[in-house]
Formats: sequence, structure tokens, C-alpha cells
Amino acid sequence: MLKAVLRGGAPVLLWRAALVAALLCGVGLLPWLSRTDPALTVLRARSAERAPTPEVLDAIRTQLGLDAGPLKLLGDWFGGLLHGDAGRSWISGAEVTPSVLQALGVSLLLMGGSLAVAVLTAGAVCARTLRLGAGRRPDGRRSAGTGSALLSALPDFLTASVLAAVVGVQLGWLPALGWYGPQWMVLPALSLGLPAGALLGRMLDDLLPGAFAEQWALAAAARGVPGRSIARQALRRCVPGLLPNFGLFVVGLTGGAVAVEQVFDIPGLGRLTLQAAVAQDLPVLQAGTLALVLLAAIAGGAARLTARLLIGPALRDGALLSLHRPTPPRPTTLPLLYGGLLLAVVALGLARDPLRLDTTARLQSPSWAHPFGTDGLGRDVLARVGHGALSTLALALAVSATALVLGVLLGLLPRVSGPLVDTVNAVPPVLAALLVTGVAGSGPSTPALAVTAVAWAPLAAHTSALLQQERATTHLTATRALGAGPLQLLRHELLPAVLPPVVRHALLRLPGVALALAALGFLGLGAQPPSPEWGLLLSENQPYAERAPWAVLAPAAALALLGAVAVTGGGGVRWPRRVSCARRRDSGDTGETGDAEAYANTEAEATWAEPPDPAHPIRPEGVTSDA
Amino acid sequence: MRFLPRRRRLVAGLLLAPLLTGCFASEGGEESSGGGGGSRLRVAMAFPPAENFNPYGADATLLSRLGVTEGLTRLDANGAATPALAESWSRENDRGWLFTLRDAAFQDGTEVTPKAVAAALTRAAGAEPVTAALSGVELTAEAAGERRVRVTTADPDPALPLRLSSPGLVVLSAEAYAEKGAVSPVGTATGPFELTKVTGTTAATLDRFDDYWGGRAQFSGVDARFIADGTARTNALRTGGVDVAEAVPVSQVTSLDEVTRRETATTRTTSLLLNTEKGAFKDPKARAAAREAINTSALAKGVYEGHADPGVGIYGPALTWAADKRVKPTGRAGAAAVDGTSVTVATYDNRPELPEVAQVLKQQLENAGFTVKLEVREYSRLESDALAGKFDAFVSARNTMLDTGDPVSILASDYTCKGSYNLALLCDRSVDKAVAEAEKVTDTAERQDAAMTAEAAILGTDAVVPLVHQRIITGVGAAVSGVQLDPYERGLVGVGTRR
Repeated sequence: MLKAVLRGGAPVLLWRAALVAALLCGVGLLPWLSRTDPALTVLRARSAERAPTPEVLDAIRTQLGLDAGPLKLLGDWFGGLLHGDAGRSWISGAEVTPSVLQALGVSLLLMGGSLAVAVLTAGAVCARTLRLGAGRRPDGRRSAGTGSALLSALPDFLTASVLAAVVGVQLGWLPALGWYGPQWMVLPALSLGLPAGALLGRMLDDLLPGAFAEQWALAAAARGVPGRSIARQALRRCVPGLLPNFGLFVVGLTGGAVAVEQVFDIPGLGRLTLQAAVAQDLPVLQAGTLALVLLAAIAGGAARLTARLLIGPALRDGALLSLHRPTPPRPTTLPLLYGGLLLAVVALGLARDPLRLDTTARLQSPSWAHPFGTDGLGRDVLARVGHGALSTLALALAVSATALVLGVLLGLLPRVSGPLVDTVNAVPPVLAALLVTGVAGSGPSTPALAVTAVAWAPLAAHTSALLQQERATTHLTATRALGAGPLQLLRHELLPAVLPPVVRHALLRLPGVALALAALGFLGLGAQPPSPEWGLLLSENQPYAERAPWAVLAPAAALALLGAVAVTGGGGVRWPRRVSCARRRDSGDTGETGDAEAYANTEAEATWAEPPDPAHPIRPEGVTSDA
Repeated sequence: MRFLPRRRRLVAGLLLAPLLTGCFASEGGEESSGGGGGSRLRVAMAFPPAENFNPYGADATLLSRLGVTEGLTRLDANGAATPALAESWSRENDRGWLFTLRDAAFQDGTEVTPKAVAAALTRAAGAEPVTAALSGVELTAEAAGERRVRVTTADPDPALPLRLSSPGLVVLSAEAYAEKGAVSPVGTATGPFELTKVTGTTAATLDRFDDYWGGRAQFSGVDARFIADGTARTNALRTGGVDVAEAVPVSQVTSLDEVTRRETATTRTTSLLLNTEKGAFKDPKARAAAREAINTSALAKGVYEGHADPGVGIYGPALTWAADKRVKPTGRAGAAAVDGTSVTVATYDNRPELPEVAQVLKQQLENAGFTVKLEVREYSRLESDALAGKFDAFVSARNTMLDTGDPVSILASDYTCKGSYNLALLCDRSVDKAVAEAEKVTDTAERQDAAMTAEAAILGTDAVVPLVHQRIITGVGAAVSGVQLDPYERGLVGVGTRR
């Protein structure tokens, strides 16, 4: 069992330790990498008004011992760490350990609540598939997943603002502010848990039909095993593929809930590390990052352990089946509908002026003159949504595609990427941006680099989880026995099985990428006002969410629509010829392999009905034996 | 390989529950302790303590707003020094002042003696980094007899009584300095409320100090919560979670009832500083063109929704004396015709209105023929570039009274060749001369006159275009009265605050 946690033994452990050390050193060198004077940023965190005279800056440098240089500071910090002392905050002079532990506790609790919400949401998203599967009616029309796609594209700060204003303030049902007891947890947990749950639910829903179509399920149904038990086993079959991503959410929600913490005034780790990163309060930043990295290692280990508990024997014996959908996801006209709607909005918006402001007509509700209303400066929201579409989408698509390639490539090497995924995922996004800026300078491509640097991690985790299962399938054993080489296996068996769900996952994360890109604006990276980039639209209109909801809802709806197009389009559009074109272009973007035959293979295996291949011997006992 | 049995999981959950409650924040003080009468006031403050309530940094203002600390003097509504811990004062000679103390006690029960005051001032003067009010001033203090303290400065300082009103020059009892390297205002100050408990950067509990020299406060204590997010702060007031919310952002004002809004003109001026050293605005004629292109009342109405006054000068209407003494700027250059001159305007997003101001400015300047590029960042990421003159113009919101309480000091630091915060990079001989003249004047009224003359000289260079004078909006629950609405943002809760 322990072996499962420490998969790979000493080299992997060493690699993990090296990564953590490198990260902490990177944090320790941050001001010197980015050439931003820590004395100045610390002064600003202490006092917004104080003139930065040389005397004041010198006094701060002496106080913090900055003149000794980064290496000495780092050495001292590591030395103190051995005695359990993480130093004192550069801003407040207070001890770091208690404040980080306190914030970590708060954040873990918030994360726990959010995950509970996420699990319920994911359950609701898959409920239909589970019910149909349990009733052995897999042919029943599956839901297109629009609802969950819309939900997963909801920015958490928007949900948080709306919940705080409506449920907390206007209805007064639940406290809108603070962190004093369980009832204070409900609203923040909802804002964080709903999108996360929708994403996990979509991924699960993607795998379930395959599990229901496996031989054991048919056999069990034929023998009269109740549908409920079959559904439970199907879940058990599919959940391991999601566990690594679940583990990533554990860490991401603990350290990255900044917006929600701000809206609800929760003293969590996200805000603490953000403030420390901006002020370059290195001891706090290092301790916060260390806490998150440790949490990531624990979460990753726990995810592997659980996967082993659930399908361990089957993995060991190579007795799994490839999770292929029994029927193609019915190509629908939905993506055309959503895509058309989005295009129409963009086209209408493009005909208008997104920059002309008129402060006498601010925050006007939707009318014929302004179909989506006006924003805080009296600009037409429709025009801004339309004009922002191109730049937002182009950049987000490029980043997502790069992240997909990176994720799949690194996902193929789980021993290398596993620890890397855990470490990268534990880095708060702002810190990642600062580190990337430090290394790459603050050019126009920096925000894209910074987001790509973290966006590949969930995709890699997903890839390697699916790959692990796929490697343990019976048909692979057979193919290997027939003399296929590793490369051939990869190209014709592994990738075709793994790629489609990962691509759909990447598409699902597209709106999130667009938001992440905009969130770096305050560091002077990325789009600057008055550009109508969607993420910027959301953040600049957030203060008016209650007075002029249309100004935030319009870009949020556009993002959600984009998510819906991606998800429903992932299942195919009604005309098959169209599908293959779209697919080829898609894979062309990712540059996965250069072989048309492989794509044909991908498509056939992923989207078309595939009767169990007689060449693949089937051993159903692997999964069902200890039911 | 099976799931954990359900019952075991349930038990584990129950065992974890008490552990988890430790992860909630503790409430900032229990409701109404009742003893001695009066209820407690709940306040939402905008700025959390940055340095553990170190009285020599920005937290000094926080302490003074909560009625914890005070100095020898304080500022009245007209910007003149009035008695606080010092009853009266007189100037002995060029460098020396004599302050007569009133009969007062520290919150730890000890008496406010000349020795204690001198020790406190000496500590403040030696703080590292030095407190803002004493920047560039060498100050010594010593006891002079039974009730008096002598304060001397190395250079003549006519504005010393104003300077001593700074929240950074507080008087604390000897106990505050007991621990080496840290100064603790907990239970050692002289104000009407005593700091008793600090919960990190989230909350603080204050109890009434019954022996306050100015009488007993109406509230038996104050529970302060620090809520940095403006919307969250306003929500706290709207849900009745607090009685008073500091600094309600303009975007949230309409969500409050008229009766709960208190509007105060502040000494904070938002202005456009033009780079006089390099770039397009090096040319005074281009600066004049920019000034003429800007419509300040559109900003006050459109961005600040009328909760600000259009810019009239460096000093706004909060300084009641300024309007009558204003001198018309002279020597302004004529505006040049502008044809597509491109300029970069920078600002920061720590104050949410500033990016909006910059976007309106962009349109106004572009209507006049400029081509404008905006640069918006977090303040600490922007400042060094701004001071190095990397932008053509900078939109900044600046408190014109600073910590010294002296109107001249902002002119010296922001607009003279040697100024430490000269964002316009202005170096003009006549400005320097006018500021130096003003610095020499002792009499308050004459000093104000001289400051206005210097202001006119600065405005004459068009290095700065005053945009708006901000008003601060304090949300006050309907039942509460007597909240101090201080244009200098140094007071909030006082003896007379009541329900």
C-alpha cells in the first residue's frame, strides 16, 4: 500500500524533493529575478502614502537584512525551518508559522466544504447517465451537457458576488461575510464548489457510458444484479480516472480561492499568499508555498492510494477494458445553435464602437439602443463583448492548445510529470506569473506563458491517469502478444483511447484559461484598459454586479456559451463529414502525431460505435470479482 | 479492497468536528459586556493593520481613528493645531518650543509626566524607518520642570505644533517600550478607548478607558473588523453586521439608504501629473493643451457620481481656508495645436476609480488630438517606473496634508527639484523659490497665504492638472450618532460617539 503512495521509489522521491527545493529557491530569489526592489514593495505594503526616500528604503533594507543578499537569506530561512521556525513576516514582523497555519486551517475547511458541494454537483451532473445505465437503457438519449458546461464556465467571483448580494444581503438567509461558523461556509463553498463539481461531473459523465457497456455489466445485468449495484461498480470503474484531477482541486481550492475569500472576507491562505507575493514578503510566501506543496504531495499520494484501493487488482493483472463509448455521442445540432448564437452576438457587437464612452449614460439597463446595457463608463456592453471575442478566444485557444500538447506529452511520462504536476499545481497563479516574469521578462507573451506554465498540469494528470488504466487493458496485452512495439502501441492503441477525453477536458477548461489570462492584468501583464478583453470586462464590472448585473452577465454568458459550444461540439456535430474536418484541425493544432491514419483511428475508436473486438480477449473478473 | 465501512467514516467525521471549529475565526469580542453601562460599537475598517499596530507606520492612523492614541496636539477643522495632551505651548526661540501638559493618565494607570512624554517623543524620533512626520527632521525632547516638555529641532521648524499632531508622534507609557525592537500600543496609550485584544489582521477589541481626560466615552467598547474589500464592507453594514463602515466605495453608495451615508470632503486630491522632464509633455504648450482638453466636472459627475468636487487646485474644499486665499496662476503657456502626439498615461488599480478616471481622460485627450495609451498596474509595481519618468502622465490620488499636518510639506516633496515624490519631475526655479519662502513662515494664516502663492506658481507650470477632490463616504447605521467625520482622516470613533 505504501508502495502505491511512493510510486516509483527513491528516484521519484528525489525528483519531488528537488522540485520543491527549486520552487522554494525560486521564491527566495524572486525579487532578484524580477529586479523589483523588495524594500519598495514592502514599504508599499506597510504604508500606501509614504514617500520612498532613500533613507526610508535603506532603513527597511537594514531591518530585513536585505543587503546580505538572497543566498544568505535563503540559507537562514532553510536553517530556521529545520527548527520549525519559518521566520518573521517582512511586513508585519510577526511570526510566520502561526499565521500561515491559521490561514491554512481556514482554507482547508473552505476547501472541504467546496469539495462536498463539488461532489454533490458532480453527482447531479452524472445522475441521468447513472440512472439510465442502471436501468440498462444506455441507448436513452444522453443529455448534451449544456447545463454542466455553462456551470463549469462560471467565474467563482461572479457566483460569489451574486450569492453575497442576493442570498446574504437582500434575502438575509445566510451570513454574507466573515468566517465564524458552519453557516458562514455555505455561500463560499457553493461559489467554489459548483464550477469545480460541474467540471468533474462532465469528465465522469464522459467515461460512464463506456463502463456500462463493458462485459461484466452485461453479465451482471443478465444475472439479475440490481441496477443500483451495477451503477456503483461503474462509478468505481470510472472514478480512478478522475482522482488525480480531484487531488488537484484539493490544492487549487485551498490556495487559489482569492476572489471568494475577498468577497466573503475569509482570512484564508489564498489572500495571504497573494498579499505576500505582491509585497514580496518572502518568508510568508515561502511558508505558504511550502504548505501548499506539502498538501499537494499528500493529496497526490492519497489520490493514487484511492485509485489503487478501487481498481488495484485489475490494474496489477492488466485486466481492464478500454473505456470506449458503446454508441457514438449522438451528434446534435446543439453546437451549431450555440455557436450561431455566439457568432451572432459577436457580429452584432463588431458593428458597434466598444471604446466610445459617455459618462452621462452609465449603467443603463438593456434597451434598443444598448441591447446589453452600458457599463460603468457608459460604453455599450454588446460592442465590448463582440470586439473582445477575437483577442480573448485566439489567445485562450492558443494557450489551451499548447497546454494540451504539453499535458499529453508530459502525461505520457508519469514518473517525471507526476511530481511536477503536484508542484506546479500548488503554486498560486500570481506567484507563477511573477516567477515567469522574473525568468522571461514582462513582454507581451508573458501572460500566455505564465498561464500555460500551470494550465498543462490538470491535463497531464488526466492523461496519465487514463493511460495507467489503458495500459492495464486486456486488448493491449493481446496486441503486445501479437508483436506490436511500444511506439506502435502508443500510436494505435494508447493515444487514440486517451486523447478524446483529454481534448474534451481541455475544451472544458477554455473559459477558465481566458479568465486566468485576464487576472494577471494588475501585474501590468496582458490586456490593459480600455481593451474589451472578456476577462477584463468581467473584472472591471464586478463592482457594479448588483447595480448593473447585465454588464457582468453579458461577458460571463459569452464565456459560458463558449464552454457549451466546446462541450457539445466535442460530441460531434450532426454532419459526419464536418466532424472529421473539425477533428483533424483540432489535432493539427495540437500537433500530436503527424499521421492521418492515426487520426482516422482516433476518430473511429472515440466517436463511432465499436462492437467488442473479437481479437481482444475479455476477462470481466478483473473489475467485478470483489463486488 | 473495500471502502471504509460507513459507520467508521461517520465516527471519524464526528471526531474531526471539534478540530475543525478551530479553523473558524474567533468573533471580535462578545456582545455588550454591559458593565459600566453603554453598548459596544461595531466598526468595519478599510485597512487592516499592516505592521501589528506599530505606531510609527501607517497603522498609526488606524490607532488614532479608533480613539486609542493621541499626541500633544491635534488639528482642528481649519487645519490649525489645537490642544490635546498639551494644554498650551509657546515658542522659546528659533529651534525650541515649550509644551505645557494637561492632567492626564495612561491606560495602564500611570500618570502622563513630562519625562514619559519626552521618552515617547525620543523613541519616535529614533524609530527605524523614521516616522513620516519626522522625515528629514532632527528632534530632541526633554522634561522641563513639573508640567512642561521642551522640544527642540536641529533646524528652525515653524510648523512643529502641526507636526506633533501626526498620529505617528503618539505618547505611550514606558511599558509600551519594554520589549526590545517592538512598540506595543496595547493598554499603554492615552485615548478614550483601550486596545485589549488583537486577532491577527482580522479584528481588534477595544474597551472604554474610564479615566480619559476628556470624559468617559458613551460606548463601553469598540469591536473593529478589518475588511479590505469595499463591497464586503458595505455588505457588512447593510446586513447589520456592523454599525459603522469606513470608506464606502463610490460604486456601492447607491446601495445604502440616504440616512446611513455621511459624506466628508477630504484633503485627498486626484490629479494628472505631467512628465516635465522628457517626452511629449516636456513642452509647456503641450501641457497647456492637455489641461485645456480636460473636463473635470465630467469626471466628478461621471466617475465619482457626484461624490467628489471638480478640481480647483492642489488643495481642495476640505481645507476651508484655501478657497478664499487662492491666487490665480500666472505665466501659463498658451496651448499648442496637437496632432496625434502619442502619450502614455499610467495609473494604479488599488483605488478602483482611478482606472475609470484614466479611461475618461484618454477619451478627453484623444478628442483634443492626442493618441493615448494606458498603463494600469498594482501600485507597488508602478511606482518606481513612475518616479523614473517612464510615463508621460500619471494619474494619482494624493493626500495633500500628509502626516505633518502642514500644507507646505506636500509642495516640497512633490514639486521641488529635490522632492522625494516628484512624479511630475518638475524642477522650476520660481516654484522652488516660492516653496522655500512658504517653509519659512511661522504664523498659520501667513503660512497658508504663502502656500497658496506657491500653489499658483506650480499650477502656472501646468505640471499638474487637479482633476477632482474626493469625498469620503462613511456608512453609519441609523441608530448611531456622533461619528467623527474628519477631513484629515485621523478621527472616527470618539468620546461623543453614541447610539
